[in-house]
Amino acid sequence: MKKTDVGVVAFMYAICIWFALMNQKLPQDAQIYPKFMIIILASLSTLYLIKILLAAKKEGVTSGFPELFKGFLPKQFFPALGMTLGYLLLLFLIGFYPATAIFMVAVLVFLKIKPVTIAITTVSILLLVFVTFNLILRVTLISGLIPDLLF
Amino acid sequence: MLQTLSLMGAGFINALSPINLLAMTLSTALGIVIGCLPGLSAAMGVALLLPMTFSMDASTGLIVLGGIYCGAIFGGSISAILIHTPGTPASAATAIDGYELTKQGKPGKALATSCFASFCGGLLSCISLYFFAPILAQLAMQFKQPEYFWLSIFGLTIIAGVSTKSMLKGLMSGALGLLISTIGMDPMNGVPRFMFGQDSLYEGINVTCALIGLFSMSQALILAEKAIVKRQEAAKVKDKMVLSGKEVKRIMPTIFRGWIIGNIIGILPGAGASIACFMSYNTNKQLSKHPEEFGNGSIEGIAASEAANNAVTGGSLIPMLTLGIPGESVTAILMGGLIIQGLQPGADLFTKYAPMTYTFFAGFVFVQFFMLVIGLLGCKGFARIAKLSDAILIPCIIVLCIVGSFAIRKIFADVVIMMIFGVLGYLVRKFELNNAAIVLALILGPLGEKGLRRSLLLSNGNPAIFFSSPVCWILIALCIFGILSPLLMNSLEKKMSGGAVADVAD
Repeated sequence: MKKTDVGVVAFMYAICIWFALMNQKLPQDAQIYPKFMIIILASLSTLYLIKILLAAKKEGVTSGFPELFKGFLPKQFFPALGMTLGYLLLLFLIGFYPATAIFMVAVLVFLKIKPVTIAITTVSILLLVFVTFNLILRVTLISGLIPDLLF
Repeated sequence: MLQTLSLMGAGFINALSPINLLAMTLSTALGIVIGCLPGLSAAMGVALLLPMTFSMDASTGLIVLGGIYCGAIFGGSISAILIHTPGTPASAATAIDGYELTKQGKPGKALATSCFASFCGGLLSCISLYFFAPILAQLAMQFKQPEYFWLSIFGLTIIAGVSTKSMLKGLMSGALGLLISTIGMDPMNGVPRFMFGQDSLYEGINVTCALIGLFSMSQALILAEKAIVKRQEAAKVKDKMVLSGKEVKRIMPTIFRGWIIGNIIGILPGAGASIACFMSYNTNKQLSKHPEEFGNGSIEGIAASEAANNAVTGGSLIPMLTLGIPGESVTAILMGGLIIQGLQPGADLFTKYAPMTYTFFAGFVFVQFFMLVIGLLGCKGFARIAKLSDAILIPCIIVLCIVGSFAIRKIFADVVIMMIFGVLGYLVRKFELNNAAIVLALILGPLGEKGLRRSLLLSNGNPAIFFSSPVCWILIALCIFGILSPLLMNSLEKKMSGGAVADVAD
């Protein structure tokens, strides 16, 4: 048994409890189908828990993390994830094109790409999006809160 | 019959319009690029480019997605042959003999075999698409609410099938998807459910955003967690990319067998191109006049794998288009493409929207020709692209995920939903749950809920309505098959991949 599997079951139970609490606020008629789904998920999670507990008796308990996160680089992953979340915030504030330019340069610098390649990649992706979405598909991309207020 | 033939003819004429031809060229080339990049899958590529099709004509949009799908499956063989790294799991068996030929100084022959076998496999799979799809669609015409309920249950049993490691984990993923599919307005009495005060969730979770998050954003996060490694230099193609008449004659029976295997595997729920390539490889090895050459650079080995994995493409479209049952992740995403266009899979596609459907079918045929030509002419260039660093791919994928999820409804909330599903998809993959099962549940959940609740309303709560017609019983039998099929598929995959691995060891 892997400890990570217990985490998976705990996550599923947490989802079930969360939805069950929200479900109570719905009218009686509307509660039935989601309740049925919550019971199915909770039952399957319980079955899986029984399975892994039985396996624990036979095979013992291991962490599971070393196998699942083999080669995981926290110093690379978390900054990359942080930059992506920051990118979402920037999109909301300053709009698609400036936010994308900043994000592309930041990530590529962080991943140690040569300056020339950074410039080519950033310009290429901006051009690709502009031609495909603005010119061909005629989609107006996120304009941003600040430009909206200013102009 | 005559009407079908005239629709088929009109489909070919429509597919030859300049915009469709351009769509085929670009999408097939793009698919090959995605396929030959190790780490990117056909599902990821189709999900990422799905929003680009929303403003296109329905048939053109579907042709684009079909082109990416076929191109990506073929593209995987280029890196498998030249750098011994399959671009997609579907080309894993191709790497065995393909790289052996490359080591012998014949990468051109290996690539030519792969191109030709992929073309034949894909083209032959179109025959079954034309033949079986209308028959199944006629069955779908008899469906009423109870049948739709069983149909969704059948789809959900497939969830167990698409789960490779643990059936229970696959079912848990599906149940999680079903629960998420209840977000939005109650279909019977219009009550908002679990909407967190967001009006954008009124119609439920946008399936396309969920798809992009689960398949593409999660892939970018997976790439970001590992050290960026420099890819092996692709072997230079110095020999001619041609096959002699004798060689073509030799691989034709192999291609034919690969087509049959790939097609059946494609139609079966829960299986996929990765199973088909190994199954065809082993079957053809057993039936070959030169079994000793398999594993040592056999063109039959390459043809067996490539014909089968490309034959899966046409086969897998049949249950998706006719019954609305996507058997694996790529067809689930293609179904998202149909939904974006406001179309529902089923009988309507072969009656009301028949011109669009037959144009797509014809486009799918032409895509195979484009794949052959682009593949033969561009292999050397595509091999260079396979060297592209993950460090460049990561931010590019993220940007395309964001722009794609926004472009569908032009709501920023959709970008946030895509990001949430991206993180969920990453965790799902890390903890060996199944993101394809979540997607299938998101698509089938509302269908099943409506079928269940409307049937019970019609019968005043009597559940006997679910057993009231022969079609219901056929679907119940299929559900039982759906539950049992993963056991069969797992043992087949182990047997087939085990056999192929043994070849390499020998």
